[in-house]
Amino acid sequence: MVDRRSTIASHLRDALRVYVLTDRSVSRSRAETDVVREAIAGGATAIQLRWKDGPLWEAVEIGRRLRDICDGENVLFVVNDRVDLALALDADGVHVGEDDLPVREVRKLVGSRMIVGYSPPTLVEAVQAERAGADYLGVGPVFGTSTKADAGRAVGTDRIRDVAASVRIPVVGIGGIGSENAGAVIAAGAAGVAVISAVVAQDDIAAASRTLRQAVDAALDEASGTT
Amino acid sequence: VIPRLHLISDRRICSLERLPDVALAAVRGGVDAIHVRERGLPAGELLRVVREVRRSIGDEVALLVNDRLDVALLGGANGVQLPESGLPARDVRGRFGSDVVIGRSVHDVAGAVRAERDGADFVVAGHVYVTGSKTGQPGRGVPFIRDVSASVGIPVIAIGGITPARVREVMAAGASGVAVISGILSSGQPEQAARDYRLALNEFSK
Repeated sequence: MVDRRSTIASHLRDALRVYVLTDRSVSRSRAETDVVREAIAGGATAIQLRWKDGPLWEAVEIGRRLRDICDGENVLFVVNDRVDLALALDADGVHVGEDDLPVREVRKLVGSRMIVGYSPPTLVEAVQAERAGADYLGVGPVFGTSTKADAGRAVGTDRIRDVAASVRIPVVGIGGIGSENAGAVIAAGAAGVAVISAVVAQDDIAAASRTLRQAVDAALDEASGTT
Repeated sequence: VIPRLHLISDRRICSLERLPDVALAAVRGGVDAIHVRERGLPAGELLRVVREVRRSIGDEVALLVNDRLDVALLGGANGVQLPESGLPARDVRGRFGSDVVIGRSVHDVAGAVRAERDGADFVVAGHVYVTGSKTGQPGRGVPFIRDVSASVGIPVIAIGGITPARVREVMAAGASGVAVISGILSSGQPEQAARDYRLALNEFSK
C-alpha cells in the first residue's frame, strides 16, 4: 500500500498555505472543475471536496476529475467527512469534524495511505487529535462567517496561537478569512488558511486566489524573518 | 448465502436506545439480516449504534449499514446497503473487494440490471405496496417484483408494506426474500412479528 502520508508529511506545511474548499451553494453553480482549475491557477495549494447534498455517484464522478486536476498541478486533494468516498477516489487526505468519524477510527481505515485532517472544537480536542493520529488541524471559525451556518462563534486568532503552541502538526485557520486578515492568522502561527467564499464565491476566482496567496506568502516570509 | 428476512432500522419508529434489543428479538424470531439505516445521523454516532447492534446480535447474523461503507467497515458490519444516490457498486467492489457484502436499493428494472452488472450481491426492490414509511407514493405492485426477478440473476429482496400474509405473493413473483421496517418495529412484539414472517417464508424453502 502506498505510504502517501509520509510523502505528504515532508511538505505538508507548504501544501496547506491556501486551502480552498468547494461548495456548490457558494460557487453559484459554476462547475467544480472550473472553480478548482481557477483556484489553482491563482495559487491554491490544497483543495477540499465538500459534498453536502447531491448523490454520491456524482461526487465520485466530479471527485475523480478534481483529483486528476490536483495531481497534474501537485496540489493536495482532500475529501470532507466521507472516508469511503476518499478511499474510492484515492484522495491525498480526508478531513473530519467533531460529529464525523473519530480521528483514530479514520486512521484505522486509511492507514498510511492518506493524511487525516480534523477540526477540533476545543484546545483539548486539538491535542487529543494529534495523539490520535491527525496530520493537521483546521481551527476556527477565526472570524465571523456566513458560509457554514453551524460553525459556531468566532474563536479569534488567539485560538490559532494556543493550538499552534500546543501541537507539532500544522494548523490552518478557517472561517471568515480573506486577503485582508490572512496575515494575522499566519502571524498567530498558522501554516495556512482555509477558505470557501473568499475564493469560490468571487467573480474572478483566480484573482481572488492569487491575492490571498500573496497575503499568505508575505505573512509567512515575515514570520520566518522575525523568528 | 443471501439472507431472506431483512429488518431495516428507523429511529422514528424504534429509538436508537432500543434498537440493539429489538434487533436481537427480531433475530430470535428469524430475521437473518439487520440493516442500520439512520439517515442524517452523524457518522460518529452511527458508528456507535452499529457497534452496539453488532454486540447485541452476535457475529452470525448479517449486519449492513445503509449508505456509509466507512462506518460499515469500522463497525464490524458485513457490508453496505447502497441507496440509489449512494456510491456506485462498481467502485465499492473495485476498491474493497469481494469480502464486502453489497446490497443495492432499486426502484426500476434498469437499476437492478445495472446493480448486478456492477457487482452487487443482491437488490432490495420496492416499494411493492403502499406503506407508512413512504407516505404518499403508490406501490409498484407485485408485477414489479416479477419484472425485476426475471431481469437479474442475483437475489431480489422485496420491500414496502409487506405483511406476513403478502409474503406468499411476492415470493411467488420471484423474490428471494423480504425486507421489513414497521411490520416488525411497530409491532410491540418484534420476536413474534419476525417469526410470523419467517414461517411465511419457510413455506417457500426447499
